[in-house]
Amino acid sequence: MSASPPSTRLLRTAALGGAALAVAGGAAFYWASQQRGAPVAADAVTVAVTAKACEPNALTVAAGKRTFEIVNKSDRPVEWEILDGVMVVEERENIAPGFRQTLTARLAPGTYAITCGLLSNPRGTLTVTPSEESRAAASRLDVQGLVGALSEYRVYLLRQGAAMVRASGDLSLAVAGGDLAAARAAYRTARDAYLRAAPVAARFSDLEAAIDPRAEYLALREKDPAFTGYPRLARGLFVEETLSGLAPVAERLAADLARLKERLRSVAVEPALLTESPAKLAARLAQGRAERAPGLAAADRADRVAALSGLAKAAELLLPVAARPAPKAAAELEDKLVAAFAAVDGGAAEPAFAALGDAFSKVDTAMNGGEK
Amino acid sequence: MKLRRLLISGAAALAIALPGLAAAKEEMLHLVAPIADYKLYVAENTEKLVADTEAFVAAVKTGNVEKARALFAPTRISYERIEPIAELFSDLDVSIDARADDFEKAEKDPAFSGFHRIEHALWDANSTKGMEPYADKLLADVKDLHKRIDGLVFPPKVVIGGAAVLMEEVAATKISGEEDRYSHTDLWDFRGNFDGSKKIFDLVEPLVSKQDPAFVKKVADNFARVDATLDKYKTAKGYEPYDKLTDSDRTVLAAAVNTLAEDLSTLRGKLGVD
Amino acid sequence: MSDGRNGPGRRQVLLGLGAAGAAGLAGGVPAARAAQKAADAPRGHGETRERQPFLGEHQAGVTTPRPAAGMVAAFGVIAETPDDLERMFRTLTERIAFLMAGGPVPELDPGLPPLDSGILGPVVPPDNLTVTVSLGDSFFAARPWLAGLRPKHLQRMTAFPNDALRREACHGDLALQICANTPDTAIHALRDIVKTLPEFLVLRWKQEGTVPVVPARPDGETESARNFLGFRDGSANPDSNDAALMERLVWVTGDAGEPAWAVGGSYQAVRIIRNFVERWDRTPLREQEQIFGRKKASGAPMDGRKESDVPDYARDPEGKVTPLDAHIRLANPRTREFAEHLILRRPFNYSNGVTKSGQLDQGLLFIAYQADLAAGFIAVQSLLNGEPLEEYIQPVGGGYFFVLPGVRGAGDYLGRTLVEASRGSALS
Repeated sequence: MSASPPSTRLLRTAALGGAALAVAGGAAFYWASQQRGAPVAADAVTVAVTAKACEPNALTVAAGKRTFEIVNKSDRPVEWEILDGVMVVEERENIAPGFRQTLTARLAPGTYAITCGLLSNPRGTLTVTPSEESRAAASRLDVQGLVGALSEYRVYLLRQGAAMVRASGDLSLAVAGGDLAAARAAYRTARDAYLRAAPVAARFSDLEAAIDPRAEYLALREKDPAFTGYPRLARGLFVEETLSGLAPVAERLAADLARLKERLRSVAVEPALLTESPAKLAARLAQGRAERAPGLAAADRADRVAALSGLAKAAELLLPVAARPAPKAAAELEDKLVAAFAAVDGGAAEPAFAALGDAFSKVDTAMNGGEK
Repeated sequence: MKLRRLLISGAAALAIALPGLAAAKEEMLHLVAPIADYKLYVAENTEKLVADTEAFVAAVKTGNVEKARALFAPTRISYERIEPIAELFSDLDVSIDARADDFEKAEKDPAFSGFHRIEHALWDANSTKGMEPYADKLLADVKDLHKRIDGLVFPPKVVIGGAAVLMEEVAATKISGEEDRYSHTDLWDFRGNFDGSKKIFDLVEPLVSKQDPAFVKKVADNFARVDATLDKYKTAKGYEPYDKLTDSDRTVLAAAVNTLAEDLSTLRGKLGVD
Repeated sequence: MSDGRNGPGRRQVLLGLGAAGAAGLAGGVPAARAAQKAADAPRGHGETRERQPFLGEHQAGVTTPRPAAGMVAAFGVIAETPDDLERMFRTLTERIAFLMAGGPVPELDPGLPPLDSGILGPVVPPDNLTVTVSLGDSFFAARPWLAGLRPKHLQRMTAFPNDALRREACHGDLALQICANTPDTAIHALRDIVKTLPEFLVLRWKQEGTVPVVPARPDGETESARNFLGFRDGSANPDSNDAALMERLVWVTGDAGEPAWAVGGSYQAVRIIRNFVERWDRTPLREQEQIFGRKKASGAPMDGRKESDVPDYARDPEGKVTPLDAHIRLANPRTREFAEHLILRRPFNYSNGVTKSGQLDQGLLFIAYQADLAAGFIAVQSLLNGEPLEEYIQPVGGGYFFVLPGVRGAGDYLGRTLVEASRGSALS
């Protein structure tokens, strides 16, 4: 049983919850409509759009799936929109004069604006109050939101992939051209992009060994032939302050990063990428590093910031999805993220990373049904 | 007792009606890659839109009417490709792309701005006089749009629904030639809308093709028909003016657009994106 | 079953009875109606169950009694081969057969757009619906593979002197005349067809209309409905129940020199004729009657007493009773020779809203059927050119079409004879 990966469990729970709710909602609606003895359309809220405004100009409905009937009482075609800030929630276009059209929107509690005919006309308001329906929906996972978040995370990974390849090309050129300052800048850009993608990039151990090996794991440490990639370049750029011997290293890094970029493109983006993978990376960062050359302090700090911003991206996308099914764990994750940013400069970075890793794990557990 | 029976029969009816949908929720993870790739497509287009708008606005501000005219349609096309996303930002959609009819005083309304305001000046007045503030605003808006889209988590519903929305838009308000009414560059916009719709379809096509190969073929055929028809009006510099479109080609386009709108409107249902 | 909240309350019953009593005195509304509330749906009398047969030698909707609602919708057709055409006609046949018969609409998963607009509810009532399919001249002109199959008299409608044809309301490759007891049923049928056949049909224009319901008179006399000029229209129509007469005047027969596939069809002339009603209403009654050639109140000819009286123009050669240029006298001089020019008119009144100058956009959706378009409508309209009525009317749209023969049985479909003939001519 425990062999089932959490990601699938998460999704399955979501699917079952959603389906059960949909059926129960339908039944409840059927029940209610029977009680009222009214046709479904009787639920519709009617809004007339006149030449000057909406009538009524202020609407209040309960949260959930709501139907509006828009009657165009003006003498030109109009569109009617529900706006959340500047974002269009739902719209109906081209309602001819004298005609009526219906629009159904799933509305969360809050205050919305409605457009009323001409753009120069004042907007109306739509107040959506909490309802049984919205409270029930709040407890279930928003699968579409999850898909949206995962898509955005994929975009983020692909962009980091493109950025690291581009910057590693610049780095090679700078090394070949003997421009130390340019090489340092390009190193930083390529390194940042790599670390931001680290929760996923770290899963490819073969590439990681070439791109980001740790001297302490190598037989001959810094003298080991396998001491390549970023650490070797950092040593040259920031400790030895020379470009000599770095050209082949930079070339190879560029090639490896190009391979990593392709892997990032083909990786299956699943919910675990927003929970488990960041948890693992944070735990690894919490272990800290062996003592390093003093010249690397600034680079190490920048590394922590870049890695943390990669974790923050995952959290930023995860939080809206987690907030409803796992409110406590989500709130904790947010707190730990803030704390980690505060600690990144201080001496307590490692414990803060450890706490952040735990917080990611707790969200994972809670979203899989663990939070009571 | 009664409620329970209702639940059971309701669930059974759902399952019989379309077995694919119940499973669709699990299938939804397959949408992650297409939606991400769609965002990259949109990003490419907004980047191009910003660059092209810079050149267009520069031509307007230096009073180079001829150059501004030549750049008008090729600049807009990037906006037309990404319309399902762009029009999510209603304030920018109005200031960038609203038509004169949306305003009480039509062309004379000071709030009438964006592409069509400048289009009106370029073709109707044959001048860029007074257009500087509109040009600056357009560029600022387009840059703002780029920034906002960059930060937007794309809602799957909007992306998948966007394929039909674009065709709906052509069918309802563009096939009549009223979009670019001063420049008659509508065929460029069509091309943009079709590209944008087809991109979405192409991205999710592998997810539908097993379930419904006949549907995929029919949609692909209609896109091909649109392609072939539009290509007839291709020129060295782009597309012929809209009034060159023959009645019979317009009929062919209208039928293909309506059929695409009809067919693509089932895409959300087919992919379980309610 | 009875639910206290749904049933009429005691107060309502009392009020209802009061109203019914008052209505009773006035000789009007039955008691049951009085309990209805303002926004309740109007109660019909079972008309929604009326059904016209779909199968037959001829299509329904030509000699079928005119129901209250009518519409003509014209389309551009995309069909490049006989196979395309067959697919289009078969789908059209299948939809019309269903819509005319009525029945439940299949349900889909709610995640998909529904199959039906739903405007008539989950079970579509037949509601006396007829959908009559006809083809225009452009349909044949654009398809070289139909060469030689164009009906002999079919042509593109050209403007008569008083016409001000609007391009966007004229002609079409294919027309549907949709009639039903209620406008909603006609609209439902149109939306069904538009939704089902987007790859073949592109809507060009449509015009809806109505005919007022005329209650039967106690003396058995049949009266025609009035048009928007207030005159009875259709008084001298040939008897559509006289099959032999219809065979002669309306239906294309084997000896007409028409392509064989066309036998059983008919020519349809559609005209959207705007009436300048404000100007008309400012015209003295006597002048109105002189222009029409009938008495406005009764519909009787100027020399008669009731609508069905036949005017005797022989006794009025100088037009002292009925002016020589009166509408009905020009349109039908009641001579023996004129019998071959008789057409079957089946018009509807339309009301479209307001023109830019703030006048009512109303008029007549004129529809006429005949076996020979040239001898029928075109000849009659030519006689009317220059009539005094022209000051009050203006044809703005319409077109000429050829009504396909009927669907004769299972397996047959609309247009089959044409499709088969086109294949035959392609082979030869």
